[in-house]
Amino acid sequence: MLTADERGVVLFTLGIATLGTLLILPVGIAVALALARYRGPGKGALETLFSLPLVLPPTAVGILLLEGLSRRTTLGAWLSTLGLDVVFTWRGVLLATSVMSFPLLVRSARTAFEEVDPRLVGIARTLGHGPVAAFFRVTLPLAWRGVAAGATLAFARALGEFGATIMVAGNIPGRTRTLALAIFHESQLGRDDRAMALAAATVVLAFGALWTTEWLTRRRARRRQT
Amino acid sequence: MIELSLEVPLAAFVLRIAANLTGRVTAILGPSGAGKTTLLEAVAGLRRKARGRIALDGAALLDDARRVNLAPERRRVGYVPQDAGLFPHLTALENVKFGARGDEGRVSTVIDTLGLRPLLNRYPVSLSGGERQRVALARALVNRPKVLLLDEPLASLDVELKERILPYLLRVREEWRAPMLYVTHNVGEALSLADQVLVLKEGAVQASGAPREILPSLAAAAEPSAAIENLFAARVVSHDPEAGVTRLRIDGGPEVSAPLAPAWASGAGATLAIRAEDVLVAVEPVRGLSARNVYAGRVAHLDVAGADVLVRIDLSLGPHWLARLTPAAVRDLALAPDAPVWVAVKSHSVKLIA
Repeated sequence: MLTADERGVVLFTLGIATLGTLLILPVGIAVALALARYRGPGKGALETLFSLPLVLPPTAVGILLLEGLSRRTTLGAWLSTLGLDVVFTWRGVLLATSVMSFPLLVRSARTAFEEVDPRLVGIARTLGHGPVAAFFRVTLPLAWRGVAAGATLAFARALGEFGATIMVAGNIPGRTRTLALAIFHESQLGRDDRAMALAAATVVLAFGALWTTEWLTRRRARRRQT
Repeated sequence: MIELSLEVPLAAFVLRIAANLTGRVTAILGPSGAGKTTLLEAVAGLRRKARGRIALDGAALLDDARRVNLAPERRRVGYVPQDAGLFPHLTALENVKFGARGDEGRVSTVIDTLGLRPLLNRYPVSLSGGERQRVALARALVNRPKVLLLDEPLASLDVELKERILPYLLRVREEWRAPMLYVTHNVGEALSLADQVLVLKEGAVQASGAPREILPSLAAAAEPSAAIENLFAARVVSHDPEAGVTRLRIDGGPEVSAPLAPAWASGAGATLAIRAEDVLVAVEPVRGLSARNVYAGRVAHLDVAGADVLVRIDLSLGPHWLARLTPAAVRDLALAPDAPVWVAVKSHSVKLIA
């Protein structure tokens, strides 16, 4: 079984992934809706830009974040004066995992929003509901399975993020060490049994998250058939 | 009254409409792609590119000159699109209650008027086309619209279903005072419901006026199969099961036999629909003919309608009848205005629609 420290790592990782998913959810929904409804020039370029973290090496994303937020930059220095250091803190873990999982949420949610007939939104408007009410009463309920599936995928991605995290936040025991980092660390020290125990924990967590996604996606497909 | 002075740019042409609609029900007729649906969407506020002025009883919904362009939610229109546009994630009842301005009493009244009680817990996917149309109509009515916009509410339905929905539309016309814009390409529907007609073609108003006044151009414009030229308000007099007929009296006119329709109560109002091509015309008194309905009259008017001639015949009582004849028949019978004629219609050519 897991030691107390290892259980701490599991809880920290779960906490980061949960918090990160909650944080990217409203932003991701807004971006996905904008991409789904926008028909003007540069649509393809925008979609590619938001998908970029999916195809870049995570370490490349990590170095970009590190260089952008270190105390040598204006933004990094300003955050530091507020006591909000990002680099080599848990905030760095949160940022790295969120950036890496964001595109998964956006892609899934965008597809779901594209499937919602915009005329239904228009009808909701004629029935006396403003754009915000129409979104919450029609668009979101019709797209929610896709949004939820995207959020689950993003959550699972955040659980396993390694490359960007280690660049931005390092691998500091008790402070920034996540499950993926801990497995690497134990394996480097030759403690393969500990690495295996932690790997087993990730399997359980990831299976739970992905199974939820599958379940939601299946239900969505079934509804479309009827 | 609905004032329209409107321009909407579309892919193929610019929709340009200038009209004052004073009727309780205005039918908007025209071929597919004429801009009928666009007109409804512009009134509903769903066409951002609409320019000009739209006003309802003097209150502007859109007025470029005064920079007025009310959002759809502030226009108080009841829009029923062609495919009903029900929310698939909501039951029939939830759809009906969706509007922001309804209340329980209103919901209940509308549900009863449109006969929706048995459907309330079902989802749109399990409703038939006619049921969806009724739910969509109810959803619009509950929201207390100042104008109803109906886009071909009967178009996707077969004849039997049409005859079941039309009574509901007639009830709506009688019981709710909101004016109606009724898009259709069916002349019969237009005639049975509307008191004003606007004919569109490629985005422009081709004709407008009272339905009977512009009937010849309407009959010529419509697909012959879809047109029902003779529509008479009538009342059920009696049922005769042995003879297999139901007798009705046209308001201010003669009695007519229709196929036995016991579902209609004696004294109930009905609309009789008779196609002009089902009306036989004779120049001598008719004897020994199976048709049950024979009336004496005079030719009032002859009109060319496509390849046919539409003959208007005044009977001694009641509204005039229209008969569709070939030019050969007109020539052989020497039909001319004021000629005495007899018209004959079989019971089975008489349809009760509402």
